[in-house]
Amino acid sequence: MHVLEVENLTKRFGGLTAVNNVSFFVDEGERVGIIGPNGAGKTTLFNMISGFIKPDSGKVIFRGEDITKLPPYEIVNKGIARTFQVVRPFRHLPVIANVMVALKSPRGCRKIEWLKTMERKAADLLEDVGLSELMLEPAENVGHGDLKRLEVARALATEPDLLMLDEPFGGLNPIETEFLTKSLLRMHLDEPTRSIIIVEHKLYALMKIVDRVIVLHQGEKIAEGKPEEIVKNKKVIEVYTGGVI
Amino acid sequence: MIKSYITRGFSSFVAYVFDVPSRLLAFLCLLLLLLLPLVIKGYTAHPYYLRILTGANILAIFAASWDLLVGRTGQISLGHALFYGVGAYTSLILATRYNLPPWVTIPFALLLGVLVALLIGLPCTRVKGPYLALVTMTFPLIMYTIVRSSLPKIFHGELGIRLPFKKALFPFLHIIQQRTAEYYLSLAILFISAVILYKVASSKTGIVFISILDDEVSSKACGINVTKYKLLSFAISGLFGTLAGCLQGYLIRIASPPMFLLTVSFIPIVVTYFGGMGTIYGPIVGTYVYAMLDNFFFDVYFPQLLKWGGIEASTVLGYLELLVFSLIVLIIVLKWPRGIARLVTDKLEDLAEARDLDERGPRIWKRYKTKGQ
Repeated sequence: MHVLEVENLTKRFGGLTAVNNVSFFVDEGERVGIIGPNGAGKTTLFNMISGFIKPDSGKVIFRGEDITKLPPYEIVNKGIARTFQVVRPFRHLPVIANVMVALKSPRGCRKIEWLKTMERKAADLLEDVGLSELMLEPAENVGHGDLKRLEVARALATEPDLLMLDEPFGGLNPIETEFLTKSLLRMHLDEPTRSIIIVEHKLYALMKIVDRVIVLHQGEKIAEGKPEEIVKNKKVIEVYTGGVI
Repeated sequence: MIKSYITRGFSSFVAYVFDVPSRLLAFLCLLLLLLLPLVIKGYTAHPYYLRILTGANILAIFAASWDLLVGRTGQISLGHALFYGVGAYTSLILATRYNLPPWVTIPFALLLGVLVALLIGLPCTRVKGPYLALVTMTFPLIMYTIVRSSLPKIFHGELGIRLPFKKALFPFLHIIQQRTAEYYLSLAILFISAVILYKVASSKTGIVFISILDDEVSSKACGINVTKYKLLSFAISGLFGTLAGCLQGYLIRIASPPMFLLTVSFIPIVVTYFGGMGTIYGPIVGTYVYAMLDNFFFDVYFPQLLKWGGIEASTVLGYLELLVFSLIVLIIVLKWPRGIARLVTDKLEDLAEARDLDERGPRIWKRYKTKGQ
């Protein structure tokens, strides 16, 4: 069953067509990667699915329901959580409270189990991404790599059916990348029904995680397939290397 | 039996107060305020000082309510005078026209205050930053024009509404007793309001308020209905702002158009920056310092100093007062932008940290630690 269906999504900013007639689907438990050079429209596509930007035309269907016109917070409560490319923590709040904000949302509240406090739940989520040490530290004192992982923990707090990660490895060093890759793979084993969409530039890390890759170029979908097929695809190589090879 | 309950209650109270240094400090401040009238009575029998202190209590409620909205939720409001005026006008109109006692008029005014807050909150949640400040600023100015120039039978125009002496809060008491009673009543209401506001600010809802202040887009991505929480913040803030207006109306026994003026809206801003933004206790400290400076220093001691210097006070005082006060605020904002109240609380937090590392931060994080293990 398709969890997410994107039908002919188009967005224009003035004369520029950021996303042009893109359609794809995501199955239950599937991990999909979206790649493409800078300015390919990946983040715009993300913003449209999560409701921060309204598309000019096209539809976003989540579990058979049209969510194109819903506000962002309602989309989150339907079960789509996202992270941001540039980290957006709540800088005045301790790391644990950052996660508790997401647990305070209707969907986050619903998932809190009997006799398990919000604080305990938040601490468990932070432990999963390896941030237990920094739990009480204000977010403004926490480094960039840790904030990236905090974003993931915060997105997971609403127990989404579809998790959308916007460049989760951006600015991470190899050790941090390795750690996040492992925790994402472990999460896939724990929750096999949860689908993931990842936008990423670091193809090496990405290819290890995803089942299927979608390639965008200048707002259009140019290729789709398994990771090993995509790296051999002539069109994709041409786009990435500027047609030199 | 009863004695054992009392001793047990007392010992647990002592343990509660001595648990955290800042709690002890708050308790000592409250004790000082409780004992102040006794000191003043020995000093002078004039009810003037009590009136000033009562005014400071009411202003503190007003400033603390502004702080919840602006310091915690980040909804910059330059029109808090709206609630002040609505509170005073509603309670006094009900008291004079329908002969209702204070315990009926004040709850009614509070209800109206919350409705007004929700009503102005609806357009205000759609704008941000400087635009929000401008939008909030317009509402009290609209009300100013309305009460001054329309419906003279209800609002009595420029003169405002006067409350006869026999309908005041404690008409049956002698003047000094009346002032003392007013002082203790306002202090009790201030204490309860401050506790409620502080509890709201440090609750889980308060965390959501701070998240909206920090990053609204991120809050939305966390599944938070930002509009709902902003309206909640407006409603709570409006409730206590209206309460301050009601009390002020009953204290000075007049509700007049200047209550809606911009100068009234600016007082909570000044005292909150003075005391410390986003702390709830900061504006209360700031208000007392402001009231002391404004009334005692500038009205009593400052003219005397000028006299000794050979300057006639009445000619220059009006300008000098504003100048000196602006300078003090400027110095504080530049030197201690986190406010004067935080000078003390930061020290206390350092002490607590040195004593026990677990005791930093609000109690909510500590509670997790104790429960989680």
